[in-house]
Amino acid sequence: MPIDGDFLRDRWLDGGVAEDLRILNTQAPRARKTLAALLREDTPFVSCQDGGEHHFRKSELLRLASMLEEWEREELLLPILIEVSGESRQMTVRTKTGVEEKVLGTLLGMPVDREGDEIYLSRAQLPAIRRLLKSSTQYLFLV
Amino acid sequence: MGAKIQVTRPTKIELARLKRRFRLATRIQKIMKDRLSILVMEFLETVKECAVVKERLVSEFNEAYRALSVTAGYLGSENLEKALFALEMPLKMTGRTRNVAGVRIPIFDVEKDTGVAARTAVRPGMTAIEEDTLSVARRCLESIIELAELENSLELLGAEINKVKRINNALEYNVIPSLHGTIRYLNMKFEERDREEGARLKYVKLLIEKREAYAY
Repeated sequence: MPIDGDFLRDRWLDGGVAEDLRILNTQAPRARKTLAALLREDTPFVSCQDGGEHHFRKSELLRLASMLEEWEREELLLPILIEVSGESRQMTVRTKTGVEEKVLGTLLGMPVDREGDEIYLSRAQLPAIRRLLKSSTQYLFLV
Repeated sequence: MGAKIQVTRPTKIELARLKRRFRLATRIQKIMKDRLSILVMEFLETVKECAVVKERLVSEFNEAYRALSVTAGYLGSENLEKALFALEMPLKMTGRTRNVAGVRIPIFDVEKDTGVAARTAVRPGMTAIEEDTLSVARRCLESIIELAELENSLELLGAEINKVKRINNALEYNVIPSLHGTIRYLNMKFEERDREEGARLKYVKLLIEKREAYAY
């Protein structure tokens, strides 16, 4: 019956898939912490929107610390959020201080594309970054 | 396969509602596709890493067996058994989680053997060969833990990929074509209604003109 089919499709769109979209970004941190603050913690973590915790690997934090100056450690907010949008093929990392640019550039071994507060990453660059910063980066899906 | 057309009532409100749904479904599908590609990328990276760790584990096991047989030759099997019974290898491991595109993945961190853990395992009077075997065994254990983390990640990522793929396919091959078809059908229906309305008005106009001609 068309009414049933219509109703089920609408309910599926409103319910199941919308719920999936809603929980898509619940892993995003409630508040990010600086690298210096995380280095001082025994078990470095940030709280997520869903009430869970996202933990960092100490080895990654030490690697980041080794490539930054003291003042830069106070400026770098972790996890670094990689924004993924369905509209564009590139991914974006927002930066205010430019420390993220230095980190990503050092890891990739090449200068990154920055325009104002935004650093653009191509899909080819992503695996290299994620391989080295597994717990220090997170995806953020823009709906 | 043609798109399934589902119309409850052919009205303009229904058309507006369907168009809204179509836009929503298209946006959701784009995001799901992005998420799928990211999950697949993470999965493939984990597979590569898994292969490297497995290879390393095999070579470490070879080394460990060689070290064990050398120790057995040096101490004798009875003494080796006694030493193994008395042996303690303290290992501090912390298990936590990290999040990858909405999937909770475990992190197992093993404290490196530079601190107290390594020193407590080495008993006084232990020979250099025994110490060497112990350190090789410890390295094997660390690799096993690393491999466990990666295998678990693979399992979790694989399950999520399947789920997202199903949603994406349902949207791409069922929901969006069906909505598109219904919108097209409704548009055609309204155009037809407009044409009918035009023809009817022309006919009425003709009737009025005829009536007016007879009146004179």
